[in-house]
Amino acid sequence: MTRSIEATSHDTATEATAAARTDEAEDGLDTPFTLPELARLDEALTMSSRETGLRFTLYMGDLGQRTRSRAEQLHATSGGDPAESVLLAVSPGQRVVEVVTGHAAARRLPDRACALAVLSMTNAFAAGDLVGGIVNGLRQLSDQAGHPRGLKTH
Amino acid sequence: MSVVETLLVFAVIPLAIVLLFAVLTLLPGRAKKARYKPGQPWQYQPVWWEPHPLHGPAAGNHDDGPKAIGSSVYQEPQAIGSGHGSASHGATSHGSTSHGATAHGATSHGATAVGASAAQPAPVSAGPLGGARGTW
Repeated sequence: MTRSIEATSHDTATEATAAARTDEAEDGLDTPFTLPELARLDEALTMSSRETGLRFTLYMGDLGQRTRSRAEQLHATSGGDPAESVLLAVSPGQRVVEVVTGHAAARRLPDRACALAVLSMTNAFAAGDLVGGIVNGLRQLSDQAGHPRGLKTH
Repeated sequence: MSVVETLLVFAVIPLAIVLLFAVLTLLPGRAKKARYKPGQPWQYQPVWWEPHPLHGPAAGNHDDGPKAIGSSVYQEPQAIGSGHGSASHGATSHGSTSHGATAHGATSHGATAVGASAAQPAPVSAGPLGGARGTW
């Protein structure tokens, strides 16, 4: 299925390079967001990660009974260096948001800053604005973490 | 002015104008997705988004681990906590399935579930974790 979609659409893959962008999100996967919203999320994640050098990932889905330990499990397997990664886990069905920071990331993102970002996120979520809340939360977190000197972003 | 003319001028024409503007304003804004409201159940698959890597796969470096593809919409593998499902997209036929540590999680796309049994990244301890929790 995916192959035929990619063959007929914006498939940028060549013999030597992989596709830079596939259209999986708009067809097969049932995402709760529209394409512009997905683009906002994508840009917020990518830009906050590049700006800070930390690795922000966003999980949306059920977190089970013990949300905190589930979020910490997810953080441990989030790829990259978990010490420097930050996981935003949002479970709209349970109305829970968890932010997990590795120990290196926690030095630049103290729990207090995370709590502030979580507060602004829950405000937006309670108004029904998932994407806006996530984007603003990411902005707050990356503003707090700042840009380390010597980090090459390009 | 007959009754019919009066009705046409004072009722039908204003109604037509109102309807025209209603159509012009309401049609483009129709929400295609059901908007999330707090308290309603969330019946979507879990999704995990990750940032684009600095030098993505389009730059041609296939050799060091899984790379984000495009908008990085990854579905989580079914086993709880077993790792990060990386959508191995259709371009895997030119050799990018050969990374030992690449996580090729099962996705819902039939053609993309290549190597779903490949090794998942082991959970790495990140030391004392920080963070915050919120409910709404």
